[in-house]
Amino acid sequence: MAVAETAHFGAIDYAEESVVEFPQGIPAFETERRFLLIQRESSAPVVFLQSLQHPDLLFLTLPVRIVEPAYSGCIASEDLDRLGLSADRQPEEGREVLTLSLLTIGQDNAVTANLMAPVVINLATRRAIQSVQPDSGYAVAVPLRWDGLKGKEA
Amino acid sequence: MLVIRRKTGESLLIGEDIEIEVIDVSPSRVKLGIKAPGTVPILRKEIRLAAEQNRQAARSITAASIEAVVARMTRL
Repeated sequence: MAVAETAHFGAIDYAEESVVEFPQGIPAFETERRFLLIQRESSAPVVFLQSLQHPDLLFLTLPVRIVEPAYSGCIASEDLDRLGLSADRQPEEGREVLTLSLLTIGQDNAVTANLMAPVVINLATRRAIQSVQPDSGYAVAVPLRWDGLKGKEA
Repeated sequence: MLVIRRKTGESLLIGEDIEIEVIDVSPSRVKLGIKAPGTVPILRKEIRLAAEQNRQAARSITAASIEAVVARMTRL
């Protein structure tokens, strides 16, 4: 077990299985390569992405299907390659990949979710990328429908 | 916005140092070749959009905003 220093959670123990590697970081954070995936019952279904390189860099995310139950994006073949996944089909959500929507908290704590560019994590290898999908028809800041989240499991 | 028609093989010159050539055209996609100094950033527009949103997302996460959002989630 290793220990990570974090601004929000303090010092936390973590196992290597909870570490997600972004070989190319994400846009605007290209040098941020290692994040801790944090899921707690007290904050479910939120999935936190905590930078292991900068204690004060923390993203809040939700699994895409929680934001949009009918979500269906299309990961480009270059992105599937970068994830180490077969480029001839879309990977199975929940089994092969975990797809997360990054949240932005605005005025009055109104939350928007990024459905245009989800974070996709290869569950077998823990390799991750942000898959930017301009043609998906989804927006980069979709207002979160709170009533739609009622009773949702992560 | 300046709108110009170009055929495959034709080029555009921007300023003194930038050239854009149309390499291939298909019904759904155009292939462009870009010559520019290494100091000039060339970015697909949607990457810039994603970058801006990521920055905003990161900036928006504070102790107070996390608490407010998580509290709302768990009250459901």
